[in-house]
Amino acid sequence: MKKDFLKVAAVLGLVMVGLILGGCGESRSQFAGAYKSIQPFAGDKHVDLDLQENGKGTWTLGGKTVEFTWMVNDGKIFIYTKPGAILVVTPAEGGKILSADMTGDWHPGCPPGSCVTFKRVQGGG
Amino acid sequence: MEATEKPAGAEVAAGLNLSHLGQEVSVPAGARIVSQGEDPEFFYVIQSGRVRVFRETADRIQTNLTELGAGAYFGEVALVTGQPRSASVEALEDATIIKVSKAEFDRLLDQNPQLARQIIQQLASWLVTGDQRVEAEVVHQVKLRQVSWFDFVLMMGLSLVLSLVVNIYNDNRIPLVHGWGDKGLISEISLNQALEMYQKNQAIFVDARKSAFYSQEHIKGATNLPEILFDLMFPMFQFTLTQTAGDKDKTLVVYGGTFSRRMDIDLARLLKHKGLERVVVLEDYSGWPKVFPLKKKEASAPGSLPLGFAGFLEWLPLSIFLLILIPPIRRSPYLSVFCRVLLAAIFISFALSKIMRPAVFALNVVDYNLTPAWGVNLWSLALPWGELVVGLFLLLGIRTRAAATLIGAMNVIFIVGLVNAILHHMPINCGCVGEVGEPVNWVKVMKNTGMLIMCIQIFLYDRFLVLDRGGFILRDRKI
Repeated sequence: MKKDFLKVAAVLGLVMVGLILGGCGESRSQFAGAYKSIQPFAGDKHVDLDLQENGKGTWTLGGKTVEFTWMVNDGKIFIYTKPGAILVVTPAEGGKILSADMTGDWHPGCPPGSCVTFKRVQGGG
Repeated sequence: MEATEKPAGAEVAAGLNLSHLGQEVSVPAGARIVSQGEDPEFFYVIQSGRVRVFRETADRIQTNLTELGAGAYFGEVALVTGQPRSASVEALEDATIIKVSKAEFDRLLDQNPQLARQIIQQLASWLVTGDQRVEAEVVHQVKLRQVSWFDFVLMMGLSLVLSLVVNIYNDNRIPLVHGWGDKGLISEISLNQALEMYQKNQAIFVDARKSAFYSQEHIKGATNLPEILFDLMFPMFQFTLTQTAGDKDKTLVVYGGTFSRRMDIDLARLLKHKGLERVVVLEDYSGWPKVFPLKKKEASAPGSLPLGFAGFLEWLPLSIFLLILIPPIRRSPYLSVFCRVLLAAIFISFALSKIMRPAVFALNVVDYNLTPAWGVNLWSLALPWGELVVGLFLLLGIRTRAAATLIGAMNVIFIVGLVNAILHHMPINCGCVGEVGEPVNWVKVMKNTGMLIMCIQIFLYDRFLVLDRGGFILRDRKI
């Protein structure tokens, strides 16, 4: 009985470790850095997006800064805000261009009118 | 077994005078003297050595009944009843026994009333012991099949306690009841008042819902400021207000459309916190589509993102629709084990994708438009933990019928939510496996129906590899 229980516990442990490791996401280093919006918020009213390698980040618009956390999964960047919103960001050109889906969901091709495009700039991260 | 001529005179075993009866034989250790199921021919009396009496099932599971030593006898029951041997006997060590034939045994009974009495007593004792064993096994099986309130209280209580404790220490914690204790009531206006303001261009209408809902249908001319993206988007909204002549002095009428009032009232509060004074919400939160001119567009469902291993697992319940068509498999406890492991893996992975970010899941719950304001956060905290706890109970084989009942109940709720969302063309995410990227569609409903059928199969037929009240059952036991 004890032996059987240990076997079950071992299997259970392996399942849990696998699932937890599977949910950890991918390396952030490729996308860590500073970005500036080019569409639709450009010029003086641009958005500054700073993705730090430790998983934290900031979104600054009109002098107001909002903090968030982010992770990489399946080649896409997931930005999590405190109130619970998720922005799915699709990188292009090796991470030089980011397209943020502002619907709070993911739509193929980033829907026009609800998409903010960022370009990587020097510094940050 | 080696037979020798029994010395004349005087072997007395078990109080019986056997001097003129039987044949003495030597039996080496490990040799089988009697086999269960064979026709009885002899009565045996042990002169020396020890034997083991046992029963054996078709798949060779042995149950020891007793051990006998010198002076004891066996084999009399089958001779009296005329039935095949009810047990096997094997020598534990080198033994000497006396084999008495049926005819000699009958004579022995005639001459030894005390032997007849002993046999009757023995048979009666076995009957009583047998009844007690059957009763114990029946009780065990009944307990295994029982579903008690305690099981449900245990699982739900554990889920609730874990969710509340973890929420305290979670960086992404949420309040148990959203907006509870928030000061500053938001004024409400009737639909007619709002319409009058709309027609006189005295108000700016702000749609607080997610942009997918806004795109699908909104009041003509309304601005979309999704409450969930308020922090990110408010500066731009403020800028737009200041740029439009006259807009600064207009009343902001915030509207939403969810039963939980999560979007409209929250956004109105946030706008007030930012210093905007004239902010109101609609009294009848869901009545605006009938009163105001609308701008409509066909719903654009969220896209589908790869969900990895959990997404793959989620397809497997569809196999149950084929498996239940085959009667022997349908009733198989091995299928129950398959269903348990699969459901456990699915529900544990579902749970782990949601547990650490309850606020995200809460917004998914709001989207379904079925939960009242006070219940959204409680449900969002407790459900993932419920999935985890119940999944673990299924995997470990603890209280599996109750666990299957709870998972079945969850699936019924999910199916109702999904069907409601499909029929109302809601452009929402399932919020089931991942946080985004899982559209709501009929395939999803089928997957959940498959899981529901699996729960029913477990409820009806699971009795294998379970850790029940009587200990761990590795084999399928039948009475």
